[in-house]
Amino acid sequence: MSSSLIPQLPTGPKEPADRAPTDWKTQAMQKRIRRRYARERRFRLFGLAAVILSAAFLAFLLVTMVANGWRGFTRTDVTLPIDFPVTGMLVERAQLDTRGADLALAGAGLENAVKGAASTAFGAGGEDFISENAWLRVREAIKRDPSILDRKVSIEVPASTEIDQALGGKGTPEAEAAVARLQQAGAITRRFNADFLHESDSTDPVAVGIWGALKGSLLTMTVTFLIAFPVGVLSAIYLEEYAPKNRWTDLIEVSINNLAAVPSIIFGLLGLAVFLGSWSLFGWRFGPLLPRSAALVGGLTLALMIMPVIVIASRNAIKAVPPSIRDAALGIGASPIQVVFHHVLPLAMPGILTGTIIGMARALGETAPLLLIGMRAFIVTPPGGFTDPATVLPVQIFLWSDEVSRGFIEKTSAAIIVLLVFLLAMNGLAIYLRNKFETRW
Amino acid sequence: MNAFALLFLIAGLGLIGWLTARARANRFDRGNARRLHSLPGQHGMYVAMWTILPALLFIAVWSAVSPGLVRDAVLQHPAAAQLPQFDFERDALLAEARRVANEDGATAFDPVAQQLAAPTRAAQSRYRWMGTAAAILLAFAGAAFALTRVRASFKARSRVERGTMLLLLLASLIAILTTLGIFLSLLWESLRFFQQVPIADFLFGRHWSPQVIDAADPGKSLGAVPLFWGTFFIGAVIAMIVAIPFGLMSAIYLTQYAAPGVRKWMKPILEMLAGVPTVVYGYFAALTVAPAVRDLAVSLGYTYASSESALAAGLVMGVMIIPFVSSMADDSIAAVPTAMRDGSLAMGATTSETISRVLIPAALPGVVAGVLLAVSRAIGETMIVVMAASGAANITLNPFESATTVTKQIVDLLTGESEFDSPKTLAAFALGLTLFVITLLLNIVALRVVKKYREAYE
Repeated sequence: MSSSLIPQLPTGPKEPADRAPTDWKTQAMQKRIRRRYARERRFRLFGLAAVILSAAFLAFLLVTMVANGWRGFTRTDVTLPIDFPVTGMLVERAQLDTRGADLALAGAGLENAVKGAASTAFGAGGEDFISENAWLRVREAIKRDPSILDRKVSIEVPASTEIDQALGGKGTPEAEAAVARLQQAGAITRRFNADFLHESDSTDPVAVGIWGALKGSLLTMTVTFLIAFPVGVLSAIYLEEYAPKNRWTDLIEVSINNLAAVPSIIFGLLGLAVFLGSWSLFGWRFGPLLPRSAALVGGLTLALMIMPVIVIASRNAIKAVPPSIRDAALGIGASPIQVVFHHVLPLAMPGILTGTIIGMARALGETAPLLLIGMRAFIVTPPGGFTDPATVLPVQIFLWSDEVSRGFIEKTSAAIIVLLVFLLAMNGLAIYLRNKFETRW
Repeated sequence: MNAFALLFLIAGLGLIGWLTARARANRFDRGNARRLHSLPGQHGMYVAMWTILPALLFIAVWSAVSPGLVRDAVLQHPAAAQLPQFDFERDALLAEARRVANEDGATAFDPVAQQLAAPTRAAQSRYRWMGTAAAILLAFAGAAFALTRVRASFKARSRVERGTMLLLLLASLIAILTTLGIFLSLLWESLRFFQQVPIADFLFGRHWSPQVIDAADPGKSLGAVPLFWGTFFIGAVIAMIVAIPFGLMSAIYLTQYAAPGVRKWMKPILEMLAGVPTVVYGYFAALTVAPAVRDLAVSLGYTYASSESALAAGLVMGVMIIPFVSSMADDSIAAVPTAMRDGSLAMGATTSETISRVLIPAALPGVVAGVLLAVSRAIGETMIVVMAASGAANITLNPFESATTVTKQIVDLLTGESEFDSPKTLAAFALGLTLFVITLLLNIVALRVVKKYREAYE
């Protein structure tokens, strides 16, 4: 094979016996050398350009996300003066201490009262300055201190999406004019939006949060880890330490290597057909084996997907443990199982954990298979358990990116920042583990 | 009792069994230590295994079987006589009854389903209690059986080790089962698809419009050639035009030119490109790259440019693939014997001449294999094309026009609202099978090439 790649040297008797040595000082030769060196510099520059452009693309991607996303962590509040006696709301004070407080306030027409207050304060159309959910904030304020119902107070309520966007310079001319007026009155502020971190999905971009999706991701990852880690490590131990060299072992190895290269969406199809499809066996027909949209199904599917990654990483880690350790343990009377579980496995653990974390990071960023098994539901309350309908962070990003409202752009980017922070932390942990515990024998 | 409580209970029983057996083994006659075969902990493990494993096995089997039993019990109920005879409608009503039975405050639209909710709940709780009782009984029986065998002369260690070995073997069989599961489930659904749509229509038809399917001749609108072309065009042409030069050149620069310090920092940075989730790339492609590409097309005088062009998706996909090409090229260049490189340099060749005339030709099989793997990754890539490519199936050579891919169509077909047996959803599985087979072939070819290449130099 190599012979066809390397040019054959001309062989034969035609070599002139007395060839004059090349005179490198001639103009032609000097020019040729210059040309070759120029080509060398050009080539080197191409290489450098390739590296720099690739890195620049990464930097551009990250900068775009941060530039779009940092506003997603903030919110715009409008200071709304409300004169409760004027609104004419009739609320039974005694009810405010009971569980029926929410209902009582809603029934008393608080929502309309707040809208009315906005129109009074900001002129006609003023109710469009505040968010649809603004009255919920007022409700909480009343519940904290019912005495405000007797006087005029100023309450900070979330601004509407239009005002929020206009403050960022991306709104309609009318909204920007409104913002200018509000700013003049000192009635508009921006602040860190802690709600983004502990709310769930919503139709209103100023009210959305990522906690629901994040919790779904955590539940899914738990299932994935609990299945993929033991199974992956155990099969790596078997293949590396005990498997006899025969056709079956080869078959297992080939399957694992191929599984590592199967596109992720295929695992989604597998999950859909096997876990969620209808089965019939011996004349009995089963419904879906597992509930649709649940973290359990997503976790199982992702576990099958990252298991080969864990197996391959674990095998490499186990292979790196020197045979002398096994020989020494065997020599003092340990059984083959004891050799592996008492000596080889603890020594290989850092490598195995590194591989596992990298696999888990891949699972955390995975979207396509989860779309197919239905984890794209509109989740307003965070999932309470493994079988509740859930969504995960990447799918949430995908869903928000499909939204028409402009306010979702910054929320999507903010969610991407959260996802990237998690992935970066996981990869950093993997690198730290590798550097700290990896032993070179 | 819910499943987690049961699992905890059984694990607790196993722990108690372990402690008991260990305590009992500790009281063996120490004076006779030479005759003891196993350590106390091993006796404990033996008992714990017998406590936990049969019960777990039973729970696994029971949870697969009990829905069928519940169904049979519900069908015995007098109200079930009103159920329609057709399997599909009957299953839908039974599922509705199950939902009403399991959720607080849910009500069914159908009166029959509402009537069946109570019997469903009764049957479910009956079988759940039966299963729980049987599992606990099995755990106790296993523990009792194993505890009676704990004696000084009992070879607990060999039993435990045989059990462990079996566990290891089972774990490694899961890989085969998964592969088999993928292949069979895809094949099964695809066969059902090909019963309705002739295979030749699917593979060679040039018209793809799953939105309107002619019931008489579904094959007419389910020809997948535009999809195959779009996948090839985006994944194997546009993406590779970006990924191959960038990946190869950065591998060459980092291995041959860069100072160790630069290499140490730049390599992980480039690898980060592979670690960014694909949904982020997809969002970036749709939000930033696609409009830029459209503006470019318009400024080039191409007024009907699509904002979901093949070029935008392909470009971003190419960037994602750079690290794969780069690391494969890196490995295969590093595998070329240093003697060849040194020989070329000693003859007076410049570094670039050495690279392009000696290293690259020698490393070519490895590079080609890397490119094949990169192509297989690119054509299986989903989120970028789902978010940035269009759904319109065109056969086009113009990168500014829209093209669609196999993966994008799979997602579109399966996330819409349609029943499971329609040719539309089954088509997704046929597409999946095609994708699976093609990526598998690419991988096998790539591995063959690498293997052959290694033999040549080692």
